[in-house]
Amino acid sequence: MKIKGAKQVHYDSGPNMTPLVDVVMVILIFLMMAGSFTQGGWFLQSTVPIKAKGGSKVDVPPGTIPDEPLEVRIDNAADGFRVLAGDIRATGDKEQLKGALAEKLKAYGAAGTPPEKVQVVLMPGRNVKYENIVAVYEAALRAGFTKVGFATSH
Amino acid sequence: MRKHRMPEMKEGGVNVTPLIDIVMCLIIFFMLVAKIGVTTGADSTIQPPETILGTKIEDIGNALTLNVRGGPRLEEPIVTALTEKGEHEPREIKIVEQRGTVQDRPLERVLTAFQRNNANAKVIILGEKDLQYHLLEQVLISCANAKITNVNFQTKPAGSGSVVAQK
Repeated sequence: MKIKGAKQVHYDSGPNMTPLVDVVMVILIFLMMAGSFTQGGWFLQSTVPIKAKGGSKVDVPPGTIPDEPLEVRIDNAADGFRVLAGDIRATGDKEQLKGALAEKLKAYGAAGTPPEKVQVVLMPGRNVKYENIVAVYEAALRAGFTKVGFATSH
Repeated sequence: MRKHRMPEMKEGGVNVTPLIDIVMCLIIFFMLVAKIGVTTGADSTIQPPETILGTKIEDIGNALTLNVRGGPRLEEPIVTALTEKGEHEPREIKIVEQRGTVQDRPLERVLTAFQRNNANAKVIILGEKDLQYHLLEQVLISCANAKITNVNFQTKPAGSGSVVAQK
């Protein structure tokens, strides 16, 4: 008896793309797994180096007027930080500290000292936590001070 | 005149052309955006403090990331960084090291060399949020002694819930 095989229909309409698709998929999966999409990071910048208390170590070029210092004393408190800067007293509340520092900056402006001529010097205590220091640092920057630096611990 | 018609093409399977188009686009995207094998040496286990304010540094080529850890009983912070090209894991750099009668300052030495080799040298400090100031201070003094004035404090955006450390 003659058995008829199924009719084979084969159309070659171009190159075989299957190996290409395989390889491309492997490359795609590798890149997705191995690659990392780094964000730029999030930073508080400072261009003012740390100085010893009293400022005797800071080199001031001859002929330049030294910046007006605003010393900000920082200590740990139960609810975060405790700040003492001239007549400013703040404990734990970043917004209150920011507002007080902004007022201080306005007072400097009214007295004829531009913001860029005021040097905020953070003076944290020996055991003050980094997050408290950063909170005060941020408050000073948000208040509009441009020069914020550190002094050695008290 | 006799007209020639294009032969009718019959589909023998699924048309993969759009798939290849899309996959190729994805590959090009990943090749351009993904950074493979690039590390700044930032320790992703360190929890930095949160801030609302912050700037992004896109150019990390001239930056040296210092991972600073501390402990309540430590008198010196544990500082790690990638100092050599080709290193994959950050290595510890001591602030002060006693060599016989000579006192060496490895971190200051590394930072001075880094500053000398990079015109726009900047240091990124990635510190634990519980780090005490007397430990951080030693790193800042080393930076100042090495004449590095551009010091950046890595934080994480408030409410982000994830560390922004770069890996």
